[in-house]
This record gives sequence, C-alpha cells and structure tokens, in this order.
Amino acid sequence: MASSSLFPGIRIHVSLKSFLYALVLVLFFLLVTSPLIGLCLDLLQEALSGTLDPFSPLTLSSRRFWLLCASISLAAAVAAAGIGIGILVVSLLWRISRRGLVIILLALLALAAIPPYIHALTWSSLLGFLAQFLPGLTVTGWGISFWVELMALLPLSTLLAWIAFASVDLSLVEAGRVFRSDWEAFFHILLPLSVPALGAAFGFLFLVCCSDYSVPSLFGADVYALDIFAQFSASGSPSLAFLYALPLMLVMVAVIITCRSGIRTLAQTPDWLSAREGTALRFPRPFVMLQVLACVVILVQISVLFSGLLWTTGSISTFTHSVMVAQAELGYSLLIAAGVILISLPLSLAAAHELRRPGLRGGIAWFLVLLPLAMPASLTGIGLILFWNLQGPVFLYPGILMPVLAGVARFAPFAAIILFVQLRFIDPVLFDAAAIFSTSTLKTWVEIRLPLYAPGLFVSGGILAALTLAELGATLIVAPPGYGTITMRIYNYLHYGAAAEVAGLCLMITILCLIAGLGTVAAVRWLYRDDGRAKERKRESLR
Amino acid sequence: MEKNTLSAVAIGSVVVLAVVAFLFLASPGRSPDPATRTIVVYTSVDQVYSEPVFRDFEKVTGIRVLPVYDIEATKTTGLVNRLIAEKGRPQADVFWSGEFGQTILLKNESVLAPYASPAAGDIPQQFHDADQYWTGFGGRARVFIVNTDRLAPGHYPSTVYDLVNDKYLGNSVGIAYPMFGTTATHAAALYRYLGWEKGRAFFSDISKRQVRVVDGNSVVRDLVADGQLAFGLTDTDDACGALEKGAHVAIIVPDQKEGEMGTLVIPNTVALIKGAPHPSEAKVFIDYVLDRKSEDAMVASGWIQIPSRHVPTKSSCMNTTGIRAMNISYQEVYTSLPGTQKDLIEIFIR
Repeated sequence: MASSSLFPGIRIHVSLKSFLYALVLVLFFLLVTSPLIGLCLDLLQEALSGTLDPFSPLTLSSRRFWLLCASISLAAAVAAAGIGIGILVVSLLWRISRRGLVIILLALLALAAIPPYIHALTWSSLLGFLAQFLPGLTVTGWGISFWVELMALLPLSTLLAWIAFASVDLSLVEAGRVFRSDWEAFFHILLPLSVPALGAAFGFLFLVCCSDYSVPSLFGADVYALDIFAQFSASGSPSLAFLYALPLMLVMVAVIITCRSGIRTLAQTPDWLSAREGTALRFPRPFVMLQVLACVVILVQISVLFSGLLWTTGSISTFTHSVMVAQAELGYSLLIAAGVILISLPLSLAAAHELRRPGLRGGIAWFLVLLPLAMPASLTGIGLILFWNLQGPVFLYPGILMPVLAGVARFAPFAAIILFVQLRFIDPVLFDAAAIFSTSTLKTWVEIRLPLYAPGLFVSGGILAALTLAELGATLIVAPPGYGTITMRIYNYLHYGAAAEVAGLCLMITILCLIAGLGTVAAVRWLYRDDGRAKERKRESLR
Repeated sequence: MEKNTLSAVAIGSVVVLAVVAFLFLASPGRSPDPATRTIVVYTSVDQVYSEPVFRDFEKVTGIRVLPVYDIEATKTTGLVNRLIAEKGRPQADVFWSGEFGQTILLKNESVLAPYASPAAGDIPQQFHDADQYWTGFGGRARVFIVNTDRLAPGHYPSTVYDLVNDKYLGNSVGIAYPMFGTTATHAAALYRYLGWEKGRAFFSDISKRQVRVVDGNSVVRDLVADGQLAFGLTDTDDACGALEKGAHVAIIVPDQKEGEMGTLVIPNTVALIKGAPHPSEAKVFIDYVLDRKSEDAMVASGWIQIPSRHVPTKSSCMNTTGIRAMNISYQEVYTSLPGTQKDLIEIFIR
C-alpha cells in the first residue's frame, strides 16, 4: 500500500490494486463515452458561436411525434414477437442433448453476424418472386417491415431466450413438477423466474430495432432513425443531428433502464451448458402446436437466408473468388474483432464490478454504460473523430485502432452487462476464501477468478465478435485510409450489383463465426476436462 | 483443473497474441515505407471504378494512394461529415466526388483549397468553380430504367412527369429517397427549374401516388431488373450496369424533346483539401484525374457516360451524343439543396 501526502496534514492511502481498478474503470468509461463527449463539445462550440438553433430539433412536430411513436411500436412489436418465438423454440428444445443444443446455439450466433440488410434483400427477392404468382401479395408497408425485421433478429432473440431460461435453477421447476402439472410448473415457475432476463433481452432487441432504418426503408416504412439520418444529411451538422436523435435516445435509455431492473433481480446459478436431467416437460397440445409453428418460422428464416445466399452465390468458384478478392478486408475485420474483444473484456469486467455497486455510484455506472447503447452508429463515428482528432495523440487518429475503438465504444457496454449477470451468480465467498488462502494475486486470478469468469467472458467474446463483424455505420466513418472491412466490401458490392459476390462473402462470415464458435466450445471443454463435469459427460455418453 | 489452468491461460494468451500479430502483419495498407510518397484520397466514386484509376496512377507516378471510400448506405453523408469533422487537422489530400453538391458544401465549410489544374484547360468553363476550389469533368445523367418485360416500347416513360402519370400504377414506379445523393441533387434542380411551389407539388404527388421510394439508386435498378417495378429513376452508371449484366431493361433519357427541360447531367468533381498533408502529391493526382486520358479510361470502364469533352471512347451502354441537359447552373442547384432536402423530409418521411 502506498501513501502520499497531497495536502499538508492529509494522508491518502491508496493500494496498487485500487489504483489499477480505478485506472481500468476510467479507461472503460472514457472509451465508451468518448463519442458522446466529442459530440457534446461540438454542440457547445456551435451553441456558443450562435450558429445552432437547439430548440427546433428538440420540439417534436406532429410528423416527428407520430414517426417516433411508429418507430417505437415497430421496435416493441419486433422485440416482443422475437422473444415470444424464442420462448416457444427454446421450451421445445430444452431437453435435447447438450451437444445438440450447442450446435443450435452456435448456428444462431453465426446467423446473427450477417447484416440485417442482407436478410432484407433476400426476403425482398423472395417476395418479388412470389408476387408474380400471388398478385395480391403486398411487398411493402409496415407488415412486411415487421416480418423482415423479425426474421433478421430471430437468431439473436432465440439465443437471448435460451440465456434467459438457462438463468433459472431447474431444481425449482422440478420441485414444482412434483406437485403440479408440467404446464403449471412452466407457466408459474420457469417463465416468471426467467422474466427478468427476458425483459433484458427485450430491451436489447428493442435497442437494435430502434436504431435500424435500413430494413424498414427497403419496404417503404419510414422510421425515426431515417429522419435523424436525413436531417444529418440536410444540415451537415453532427450537433444538430445529435439533438434530433435525443428524443429517440431518451426513449431507448428509458426502456433499457426499465429492463435493467430485470437484470438485477436475476437469481440462481446459470449453468448454461450443463445437461438437463429428468424427463422433458409435457405441454398441452395447443402449446405444442405453437412451439412447432415457432420452429417452422425459424426453419423458414434459416432456409430463406441460406438458400438465397447459396442460390445467388451459384458456384464454389464464385465463393472462392469473392473470398480471394476480399482477403485483405477479411484480415482487417478479424483484426478489429480480435482487438475489440481483447480491449473490451478486461475493461468490461471492471465495469461489471462497478455495476454491482449500490446506491448513487452504481446508478451513475449504469447510466454511463447504457447511454452509449442508444447512440446511432454514424453519430458514434463522428463523435469519435471529434474526440480523437486532436493535436495530441496523433498515433490514434486516423490509425488502424480507430475501428477497434469504434467497436469498443458501441459494444463494450453489452459485454459489461453480460459479465454483470455472470458476476451475480458467482458466490463471493469463493473470492474471500481465495484471498485468505492464496499465496499470490496471480495464482488467485489464474486458478480462481478466471475460471469463474470464463463462461461470461466466452459468451461476451462471441457476441462482441458477431456485432463487430456486422458493424458498418461507425467503422465507415473512422476507417483509416487504405483499410476496409468485410462489411464495407459487401455494401460496395451491393451497390455495384455484384449479388453473387455479396452472397459469397455473407456465407464466408457465417462459416467464420461457426468456426470461431466451435473453437470457443472446444476451448471451454478442454478447460473443464478434468473437473467433475467429466463424470457428467461420461454419464451422458452412456445413455 | 488447477494443474491445467495456468498452461491453458498461457497457451491461450500466446495463441491470441500470435493471431493478433499475424493479422496485424497481414493487414493491407499498413503504413508504407516512409520513403514512399503517398496521398490520401476521399472518394464517393464506387470502389469498382475508382480503384483502377488509383492503381494506374500509382504505376505511372510511383505515388501510393490510400483511399477512403464511401458507400451508398451512408449516402455520402459519412464521408463529407468526416471531412468537416477533420477540418481542424485534415487527414485527406484530395476529395473526388461523383457529384457536385457535397463538393460545393465543402467549399462553403472552408474545407477546400483553390487549385487550377493545367490538365483542365480543355474542360468547358461550366465545369469550373468560379473561385477555382473544384473542377468538374465527365459524369452521369439521370435516366429512367425500364423493365422491357413489363412495358412495351410504346408505353415507355419519356418525361419526369410520367412519375405522376395515372397510366402507370404508383407502386410499379420507383425512385430513391430524394433527400439523399444524386436524387436529392436532381430534386433540388427540379425545385429550382420548376419553381418552389411546382416542385413541391410534383414531389407531393409522387408521395400521394405511393410511388415506391427505396434506399438508393442501385435498389431502384435491382427492383426494375427483378421485375418488381415497371420503371424507375436512377443514374446512368446504375442503369448501364443492369444492361451489361443482361437484365431485361432499357434506358430512357427523359425530357429530350424540343421545348422540354432536358435531364440533369451530374459531373464528377475533384478538389484539393485545405491543409492537406501532401499538397504536392495531391496536385499531381488532381492533374492525373482531370487529364483527357483518364476521362477516356473512365468512359471505357463504364463510370462516365457523359464526357465533358471529346474523348476517343464512346459509352458502350447508350448513345449519349446530343443529350439535352437541364439548363441550370450547379451553384443554383446547390443553393436550393438544403431547403429542398428539408421540404422533402416533411413530404416523404412520415
């Protein structure tokens, strides 16, 4: 412990551990709020110079008010439907073997890395084809926008629904099954206990849907996010665009804060990848039919996407050609994803500890973590330039790290929230025991802390990778000269009309995510191969 | 697990560092040899068309080009706002755009520096900025792309007023969002040419007729080629792209009859960035792009359909000789652009 005297008569005792913790925390909050700080400074500068009229963007006209309501309604409907379908699918698949469940989850995560706009184009082509045989088929409007947005987010919503179910201690459900029917145990025990996590999942999906305008605009549904972008284009002022974005951001933050209370009340231990003992829950026939229907919807989503991609790619040679041409962008995209993971995880772990603080300190931490999630991607990029393009740190802007910082700013808060959930389930007595009996901090970290944190770290890493690979809005703005990402190449090809190359690249992203996911699962299995789970796995294999 | 954890973490760390190091070393466009001359070009021209120009320039001059591309999804807003945000410490040397509105905006935001290229001597005066902040050259025109399976030649559209003509179903016609890109520029030109009230009425009619308004000119092209739309308004490079890929489409240049307004011709523009880190190299690049040979190469590649001066190569996609252009100055179009965009936001985003 070091002590210093900053002022006469006052001695401050600071441990190295506390200092490092504070440093990491400051770095986390600095990186995630740097775009916001940049925009606020620009706003202040414009306001002081008298060139900004702050009131008209903040005054909602009837047009903007109804646009905001329609956007919120669409996002809420998509999020709710996605969670609903996720519940039905997961409740049906709940009792399959762990191996099968892991395969399905990896496939869902891989699909989540495909940009939503690609889903939209695939469905647009299908609807155009069907319209030739069904003249009354509507190919534009809010209904179709809802459907396609839902299809694009279904992999993510199903994955989140599974995480919500996995957060519940099944022994409570099993106890309920002793005294009541399976349906009552599901409806009155499992579902209510997973509602907090489902609420958090709803908030996350709502956020993603609110900030997306690419899918609705393809089908003629205008959303508030498009209005923000249009105002940005018309005014050329990031400050003005930021003010226009504020009403939507406030709604998004309010929803996320509401869902946050759900996260904080999660209970029991998540043993996310363990086998589920006992017999499968038996549901009434109407519910089973709904489950089957939900699975059909998922299969339709996967089939339309993959058949569209495969059909459009056409041949192995087109696939390999598109991969060869884009290998530079592929390398850079993977570098960015690796960088985002390496920087975000340790910083998010510290932030996750901070989110557990009670009172004002924890509240401020939650606010600072949630606020960046509500910011539109292109404004994040501009904010990063305004913050980092200073006379000082020339090595940062416009260096190759800028897209990494963009990924950290946009997605590290997600990792912090996931790790917060992980921390809630770790018995702090384990850390106390380690502190008493361990002979070194390094040994404590390597043998106690990291293995306990590992599931959350792996899940966070996977989600960070998927989100980073699909990110476009902020990356485009800060990518250094001479560098491009795979998503930028995809959108360039889209504009040029090279549909086969686009499909080939999307297939490549999916395969890469699957490989990364399989590698992660293999690493987890190897990590845990000599513990008690080995007996569990042996029991499973003997069945 | 104790005996394996340390080795697992150590191996994992080594693997991660090795992967990151490999990716870092294998990444493209790493900082070049300090002795190599470089320039940074921000361009809204499609990568497919601009990249060959950069590679040829590198071969001829030995100056390495580090490009920053834009994509249609961000509607040039990203690139232009990036330049404005970097104004205090510019990173770019040259801005090369496929249109002129954003270039004039950058001039007004004091992002550009004047440069009169000697290679632009034979380019007509209308393509030069009065204060020499930018120079235009060959470009594209606004045209209709028509699906020939859905419309017989006798029913092809011939004027922009056909967008609101009752003989076509509203949802069989398409345009890109008129608040962005070249469609915004075209809209501003129409507002200026027709007058504010008539321009507003025209676009209000388009909205009321439920003409399909989509995310970009390339989407219009794809929907027409796909048969989902009978015809749509787009740029010549997009339309020619569909034709060259064998789609059942035809290209119609609107308003070409005597007494009609003509179509908007949108030139490329190139400009020097104020405070550019490599001003000498930037001027070499600007001279190269404005050279007649480069314009000829871009006609051959399919980027330019309307050359600004006589070049040997003719567009293989369409006959552009004698195209009637709208009689309107670029400055006039630019002046009405912000107001037009705001008006169109009110009309179309609701």
